Amino acid sequence: MTAVVPMNDVPMNDGPMNPLPITGLDPHARRGGHAHLPRPRPRPREFGLLAIVTATLLLGSASLAATRAFGGTIAPGLDRGLLADGPALLGYLASLFAAHILLILSGRRTDQVLLPTIGLLGGVSLLLMERLPQTLAGGLGLGRTQLVWLALSILAIAVIGTIVRSDAWLRMYKYTWAAIGVGLLLITFVFGHDVNGQRLTLGIGPVSGQPSELIKILLVVFLAGYLSENRALLIEESTKIGPIRLPPIPYLAPMIAMWAIALAIVVIQKDLGAALLFFAVFLLLLYVATARASFVVLGLIAFLVGGAVLYAFLPHVQVRVDIWLDPFATASGSGYQIVQALHAFARGGLLGTGLGAGLPMIGGALPIPALHTDFPFAALGEEMGLVGILGILGLYLVVIERGLRIAASAADDFRAILAAGLSLIIGVQAFIIAAGNLKLIPLTGITLPFISYGGSSLLASGLIVGLLIALSDRTAELPAVTGSAQRSLRRRQNRGSA
Amino acid sequence: MDGTIIAIWLLRLLFLAGLYLFLWSVVRVLLRDLRAAASDPGIEVGRLVVLESPSGEPVVGAGFSLDAVTTLGRDVNATILLDDEFVSAMHAALTYRGRLWYLEDLGSTNGSFVNGSPVDGLAPLAFGDELQFGNVRLRLERARR
Repeated sequence: MTAVVPMNDVPMNDGPMNPLPITGLDPHARRGGHAHLPRPRPRPREFGLLAIVTATLLLGSASLAATRAFGGTIAPGLDRGLLADGPALLGYLASLFAAHILLILSGRRTDQVLLPTIGLLGGVSLLLMERLPQTLAGGLGLGRTQLVWLALSILAIAVIGTIVRSDAWLRMYKYTWAAIGVGLLLITFVFGHDVNGQRLTLGIGPVSGQPSELIKILLVVFLAGYLSENRALLIEESTKIGPIRLPPIPYLAPMIAMWAIALAIVVIQKDLGAALLFFAVFLLLLYVATARASFVVLGLIAFLVGGAVLYAFLPHVQVRVDIWLDPFATASGSGYQIVQALHAFARGGLLGTGLGAGLPMIGGALPIPALHTDFPFAALGEEMGLVGILGILGLYLVVIERGLRIAASAADDFRAILAAGLSLIIGVQAFIIAAGNLKLIPLTGITLPFISYGGSSLLASGLIVGLLIALSDRTAELPAVTGSAQRSLRRRQNRGSA
Repeated sequence: MDGTIIAIWLLRLLFLAGLYLFLWSVVRVLLRDLRAAASDPGIEVGRLVVLESPSGEPVVGAGFSLDAVTTLGRDVNATILLDDEFVSAMHAALTYRGRLWYLEDLGSTNGSFVNGSPVDGLAPLAFGDELQFGNVRLRLERARR
């Protein structure tokens, strides 16, 4: 036999000669030539679930309208009728079914549960925003503005779930994405303007948004790239100090950097929620990638140390913790929001007061300040009761379950960690704010995904779910091996041969 | 008036019932999905997908479900038969040890390559890595669960 040179001149990106027909999979799911469209694939489960969503939301709207007609708490500018603001709800349902049709036309075998679940969450949000004072948002009013953002978010889900066929653009530029994320953070710090003492909002001309919503996605993309490339090393090698197993020293640096970034967000932006979210998702992904509990324990210790230091030095952290420990001590001051939220949950009881029968105003002001962004969970607790909010939490659990299922069936590490990370963002974020509303953990200003009012949050959440749907397509081609994968192997080899 | 109150109560309860009907339907879908995954024959811990194979054995595009120990080579006793003239009889072995896959070259004439780099001794693998033995190129993928 003669020595053979490995063929390194393989086409790097999917050119016409890419030999990738994977047998056993439906040929229609593959990308055809660019001349003809893929054959539509019916999605019966999605349709069935969407039908239930439609019926539920119509019942909810009718219930809201009936309560208003009876109780007379009708908001100005809304008609009496069978449905509360029927056109808005019908427009929202139309956007859901348009997304459904777009996904059918994409002809891909993708997840059919996520869209209806998100549809129900968004619909509940719409019903909630319609009954709050419409003047909270300028222009179209609160309900209509939320409708526009919800429709855009649903559209984003369908478009991303249809067109994203390769993840190469995410995995190849992971350091670029990380740099963009850090850059956005710095820009917000320098040029952002303060809202409620937090420097989160960045305005460019008439458009303003909260970059941290995008940064959390960039963070997960970077972590997926970094952890999938170094998974073997993180598992194999460890530095032992007594009984404690540390990650190998060179790989400790990015983790310390993550911790430092989380702390910097608290100190500079005064945004406890985002810091908590970033760090929690980071630790969870570290565990997902390595299955080493010791790393997580180490991270939690670092978290406690950092938290204690911040509590000692930063007054806004002290306030948050103090009103969590005893909101009634300052019930008419800084603890007011939490006290009102607890009263709202108490008024709701088991079955709730009914949609629209909560206390919309006290003396011309919202009962809970920032209800539409930070306390929608308390409002739902009042109107839908324990039974209702348990159902809402169940919907978030469904999103997490789907994400972890998509991760478990992913073809390679990058996709697995990415899918797990994306669904955990939604799950952890929902937990942080729901638990904050319930006084289970200190309250942090973060949105309840798909329910809180806010365009940045809705669009970012739509992007996340769209990517999850795209990742659930197992027939999507894996990109050819990249330069960084080769470098990663060389590092592994150097250690493995020792 | 009593009729109105009853109607409002009914609508409220129906709304909550709709929420739970949705959850129940979703859970049924999820359980069916999980059962289908659990009843899959065999417990595979990884897959090998054939990217390039000039001889036609194995067929390009074929996917092999891997056990914890898999040997590759031209010998008929190899777990995965690679009928290529540049592949040795017992060319390489793939082993799954706890958390990671490893590739071991079994003293082949032409060597084994991972992502284009030659393997000496035992190389830890990541899912998505491309393996090359002779003219045959394969990709290690995660198990389908």
